Amino acid sequence: MSEKGFNPFEMALAQFDSVADTLGLEQSVRDLLRNPLREFQFSIPVRMDDGTVKVFRGFRVQHNDSRGPCKGGIRFHPAETIDTVRALAMWMTWKCAVVDIPLGGGKGGVICDPHNLSRREEEQICRGWVRQMAYNIGPLSDVPAPDVMTSAQHMLWMLDEYEHIHGAHYPGFITGKPYGMGGSLGRTEATGYGLVFTIREALKELGIDPRNTTASVQGFGNVAQYAIQLYQRIGGKVVCVSCWDQNDQKSYSFIKKEGVKLEELQGITDRFGGIDKTKAKALKYEIMDGKIWIEQDVDILMPCAIENQITGDNVDKINKSVKVIAEGANGPTTPEADKGIKARGIFIIPDFLANAGGVTCSYFEQVQSNMNYFWEKDDVLSRLDIKMTSAFSAVSDLARKQKLYMRDAAYVIAIDRVANASRDRGWV
Amino acid sequence: MKQKAAIPIVKDIPRFDRQFFESGDVISLIGGGSIGGKASGLVFAHKVIQNNINPEEFKNLQISVPRIVVIGTDIFDAFMMRNNLYELALDDIPDDRIASFFQKAEFPAEFAGDLRGLISTVHTPLALRSSSMLEDAMYEPFAGVYGTKMIPNNQPDTDTRYKKLLEAVKFVYASVFFKEAKAYFEMTGHSLTEEKMAVIIQEVVGLPFGERYYPSVSGVARSYNFYAFGHAKPEQGVVDLALGLGKTIVDGGLVWSFCPEYPKTSPPSTIGDLLKTSQTEFWSVNMGKPPAYDPIHEAEFLTKGSIADAEGDKSLYMIASTYQPQNDRIVMGMGAAGPRVLNFAQLIQMNDIPLTPVIKKLMKTCEMELGAAVEIEFAMTLDPNKKIPPRFGFLQVRPMVVSDEKVEISEAELSSENTLLASERVLGNGVLSNLYDVVFVKPDIFKKENTSLITSEINDINLKIKNENRRYLLIGFGRWGSSDPWLGIPVNWGHISNAQVIVEATLPDMHVELSQGSHFFHNLTSLQLFYFSISHSGKYNIDWDWLNSQKLISESDNVRHIRTGKPLIVKVDGRNSIGVVTR
Repeated sequence: MSEKGFNPFEMALAQFDSVADTLGLEQSVRDLLRNPLREFQFSIPVRMDDGTVKVFRGFRVQHNDSRGPCKGGIRFHPAETIDTVRALAMWMTWKCAVVDIPLGGGKGGVICDPHNLSRREEEQICRGWVRQMAYNIGPLSDVPAPDVMTSAQHMLWMLDEYEHIHGAHYPGFITGKPYGMGGSLGRTEATGYGLVFTIREALKELGIDPRNTTASVQGFGNVAQYAIQLYQRIGGKVVCVSCWDQNDQKSYSFIKKEGVKLEELQGITDRFGGIDKTKAKALKYEIMDGKIWIEQDVDILMPCAIENQITGDNVDKINKSVKVIAEGANGPTTPEADKGIKARGIFIIPDFLANAGGVTCSYFEQVQSNMNYFWEKDDVLSRLDIKMTSAFSAVSDLARKQKLYMRDAAYVIAIDRVANASRDRGWV
Repeated sequence: MKQKAAIPIVKDIPRFDRQFFESGDVISLIGGGSIGGKASGLVFAHKVIQNNINPEEFKNLQISVPRIVVIGTDIFDAFMMRNNLYELALDDIPDDRIASFFQKAEFPAEFAGDLRGLISTVHTPLALRSSSMLEDAMYEPFAGVYGTKMIPNNQPDTDTRYKKLLEAVKFVYASVFFKEAKAYFEMTGHSLTEEKMAVIIQEVVGLPFGERYYPSVSGVARSYNFYAFGHAKPEQGVVDLALGLGKTIVDGGLVWSFCPEYPKTSPPSTIGDLLKTSQTEFWSVNMGKPPAYDPIHEAEFLTKGSIADAEGDKSLYMIASTYQPQNDRIVMGMGAAGPRVLNFAQLIQMNDIPLTPVIKKLMKTCEMELGAAVEIEFAMTLDPNKKIPPRFGFLQVRPMVVSDEKVEISEAELSSENTLLASERVLGNGVLSNLYDVVFVKPDIFKKENTSLITSEINDINLKIKNENRRYLLIGFGRWGSSDPWLGIPVNWGHISNAQVIVEATLPDMHVELSQGSHFFHNLTSLQLFYFSISHSGKYNIDWDWLNSQKLISESDNVRHIRTGKPLIVKVDGRNSIGVVTR
């Protein structure tokens, strides 16, 4: 769904270069951190259900592991590119660093469209991906996780293949596993909840009571749904949700001024987060164009779909009432749009801080898997809150003290930590 | 008729900040909704100290409300609803099963981080107390019905401390649905679904003594004394003191009572009786080896010690005296060898530490502010090494119900031939003429060792009477509600919930100072029940022959339930503490 010509890696580099200047990073550190440490591109031949063989293209990028094993999801997406994976791997490095967990950044993907694949074909892609990477990933080197259009089931197939190849159980090899099979309680909620923990702290800082706020959410996948749940629980009202319609190949916004009801929407949503328009209309939702989510008269915008959604073209459409943008998705805002947001003084919670709940909980899962001892949900979510809140405070304190834009402050903290780790190891 | 008074409703409590325990603030709120009756009492107590206590006036004593964080009632609502607990909690299943289900339920995620943040900065024992919407409010006396849990909170890692804190919160929530609370709700005509629970997290006032942590003194003071003795008048109040945690007083254990106007006057007993009825055991928080894992047990982290243990801890400083058998005297202090007697003489009779003046000042101020008699709770630390200044922790204040209906009872009524029983130590005020049922413990075969059995027999009869929607007069021996089965019948409120008049009597074999459990009796008076104390050797007695001649409804080994042909007339003159039941 990326705009034609948009290159996320270029965006990631532009962001990095700007912060590198702020930090006055030496050239060797810049050279190291501008590019991934390792990249893997490979083919995955799969015999399809109709008997033909189709070759899928797979990727794994390990951007930096100076602070610990690489960590990052595996995306199944028809428009996947190596540059997207590179950018996302780099963002993972910053994300792990900003929440101060001992992991590096990685990302993987396969060019495919699961909407057009059977479960067996998806399984074969998962197993094929692991066969190609089995000796370059693992609990102590690179730990994959679910991402766009991959789920706990995909992780289990991958784990099974990995354990088959290595001849032993390694539950810490992969995260996002189902609970009871090495998964962590709270993992499903983690990204969405983490997002709301940071929103809560931002509102606290702005002196706004969450009970007096409204929000518009782009996307209705896992992150958006749990973010809406917790946001409503702290008293907020969501008036607009937008999502992608697979049949129409376009997005729609679902609006209810008195506040959307999460459970009724979940009841009419498919597994990819697409809401049934007809049923929504019957439930008295106003259905409008997908782009309209950004124009809503609300206090908070939560872009929770994909990258490149708030751009130079639509940044001016953000309503004057908006005080906070919390980026649940990765890279939803372009640098050009950032300028507009910055100029308007909107408080932004940058993606790699706002949505770091997922990787933080993945880290918890990995710790639990490695110990083979699992925590209660109360335990997981309270630890998550503490991690997210401390990370938010560190970033916002720096932003306030040094008069930095929140995204820049988060980058400064993250890049400084990674640069220091790389120096400490004697790499640069 | 009752005096109307209530703790002011509190709003605008500062929101919890994760650095709260490192700040100088006293009160903070996690979540929203109400903070409940008990927490409102603490906020009120804090204001009373701020506005009325001049530190210069009480130089040798630091007076404060210990820091508290309140978990608002909204969180209780979220916990109940999200975990679908109501159906199970309202079901008639054993308390331990309810507690166990609550332990498994999830605490609302949006507040779990605040609890973890809180506990990461605190390493001293904490008390988790219920603070319900109905509890402690005037006319809705749920005081002492719900659970309170103390945790040592001394584990080195945050994870364990957090886990124990959460277990304690869930235990307090579960206690709303325990049998005793359910019986209380039925009695007061409320629905359990009306109840909402806030939880107070409060530092325990105390000092570490080896593996125990406790205050040197716990106390309950009432500005109106239903049992005035000596020169004291009812309106001069009464103070009960005990060593260790206040559980001893709340449970109706052995304590030292005195009128704050006459601190040198001992209770009206012989030296022998004083020795027998002074405190010999005390409660503390167990800071040592962790006990067996039992999160659904209220006293999981509490431990009982003896006076000898306390002497070993050196915590008897200023509170113990010594009995000298050679001249049959009790001498202040512990200068000589001999049995120790906890009469707090040095503390309340000397002027080194102004405990009595502080109590008087607080009671008077609270009475004026609330326009009613009050009951206050406090705890004190006294460092035997004198390194830490003495501290007075103001733990609770609540209004008492003092009836003002004028009831006159003549001397002739007290000893007429139609008198079933009479007493000059009676709690309550008013007249009752619709009682037919009497449940009594058989005096001829009563044995101290059977009190637990008697509890169960009374519970069965109470249940039957409750099902018939009737009320009754209850007669037993020793202290009702005593946690020590050797001092009385260890019922809780649920066991006797349909009693309208309660009589505690002595026998030659059960001759103890009669009941003083403050929480229990606050509830009794607020529910407008009548309470008679009758000594077997006193002026008035009970007409057992007449009782035995009435129509028998049911009988167990130790208890008899009879029904009279015409209603009993119960009259209680609260001003003069006298009462009579005429047949």
